[in-house]
Amino acid sequence: MCSSTSVLGTTLKGTRRIASSSGAAIGLLARPRPTEPVAWTEAEAIRRSQAGDSAAFDFLYQLHSRRVYALCLRMVNNPADAEDLMQEAFLQLFRKIGTFRGESAFSTWLHRMTVNVVLMRLRKKSLPTDSLEETLDPDAENSSPKRDVGAPDLRLSGAVDRVNLERSIEQLPPGYRTVFILHDVQGYEHNEIADIMGCSVGNSKSQLHKARTRLRELLQEQIRDQARQERQSAKAQTGSKE
Amino acid sequence: MQCKELEAVLESEGLSPLPQEAREHLASCTNCQDLLADLSAIVVAAKRVPAEVTPPDRIWISVRAQLEAEGIIRDAEPRVTPAPSPWWQGFAELFRPRVLAGVGTGLFLVFGGFYLVEHRGTTNIAPQPTPVQTQASQNPNTVAPPSTEVNPVAPAKNPLRQVQTAHAASVAPEPRPSNKSLLPSPSENAYLGDSAAVLSATEDSLPRRELTGNATVDASLRQNLRTLNGFIAECEARLKQNPQDQLTREYLNMAYQQKAELLTAMMDSGRSEH
Repeated sequence: MCSSTSVLGTTLKGTRRIASSSGAAIGLLARPRPTEPVAWTEAEAIRRSQAGDSAAFDFLYQLHSRRVYALCLRMVNNPADAEDLMQEAFLQLFRKIGTFRGESAFSTWLHRMTVNVVLMRLRKKSLPTDSLEETLDPDAENSSPKRDVGAPDLRLSGAVDRVNLERSIEQLPPGYRTVFILHDVQGYEHNEIADIMGCSVGNSKSQLHKARTRLRELLQEQIRDQARQERQSAKAQTGSKE
Repeated sequence: MQCKELEAVLESEGLSPLPQEAREHLASCTNCQDLLADLSAIVVAAKRVPAEVTPPDRIWISVRAQLEAEGIIRDAEPRVTPAPSPWWQGFAELFRPRVLAGVGTGLFLVFGGFYLVEHRGTTNIAPQPTPVQTQASQNPNTVAPPSTEVNPVAPAKNPLRQVQTAHAASVAPEPRPSNKSLLPSPSENAYLGDSAAVLSATEDSLPRRELTGNATVDASLRQNLRTLNGFIAECEARLKQNPQDQLTREYLNMAYQQKAELLTAMMDSGRSEH
């Protein structure tokens, strides 16, 4: 089911998302700078960078930086922090690139480092969110979002716009947020996410479903808040008229 | 199938085509229909969230600098080395405006320093231009006294050179003497007397006939000599009246030196003519 076929170190689905967004072919995904004489394959760029070739480092950075930056940005919701995290992630990547043997896709390897850097930062900051261990444990009580039986079910169809969704993503626990961004936003498969997050495929699926249902609750809350504010403003207007 | 069982299916299989039992439950359960519709709406909305965001260039600049500093990037941007230039282009470097300005300033400072040292050494006593200098500058026909460097007469055998050398030593820049040292010492008086005697003897030995073959030049030289002798006589008379007049003594010294140079020039002219 999972498209684990690696083409130039990028899985088919991941490639589809990259290609669809950049409109480039595999291996030519990065926008080559004018000074670059050739467009390498990712494997060739990795081999060259392992030998210290600066152009290869540049190529790999250009190839992956936009997705890594987007991930960091969604995770911390702060451009300055995202830049800092991305810099740290790429430094770690290039410091260890000599040890890359190709057991997993390069982008998976890179995203694993990025996620680790981000989650470490979130832990250090002690944000008021669930810890990764809690959110990755499917049996934990708090990890399972509860449906509010008494609350009316609001249909989200047509009410979910990008702004509402991004605002709700910010409120997700880090573990849920990571899985949701990697799968639903960036297009990674569960086996890749499991590799990135260091968990099982089943765990990744469970986390994704819980993330979606938690988002549904958050979006419903937003819609209720908006409806309440509209009612209050309407009351205030009618009161002022009378 | 119950609602919880459907949710378990959604958790394990996702929103992909559901099994028959789940579809049958969905057909009869509005809550589960709403759930499935909302989750699908979220997935669709998530697809509109950009999966890529272009980071600022400064991140790569910073990363690259760090990697270069750590030696991970080993072949930094190749430095453009200029092709070897011909040897004569090295001279062109000397004439660049900055180089010229620097050299000019240095020369100005060096010569200015020399000038200040010399000027201070000679202006402590504020000598006035001697009559010979004044006259020579006013008279274009006047032959300036030749420099001692071109004097072919050996110093040891030439009494005029001795006078010149002694005079140069006497006017060399020295710390300003105290009031006590302003008094003429017996040796100074003896030196002046010796200089006067040597110069008089040399003047007497000058040939009476023409010196240079040019009557105008000869007349100008002899006129300069007469003016110089008159100035010397005036200085000597003042020194007799006031032996402590240091300024007059300096003037007399300089006049002796000028007379020595003039006599040297006159003698050289006569010698070269013969």
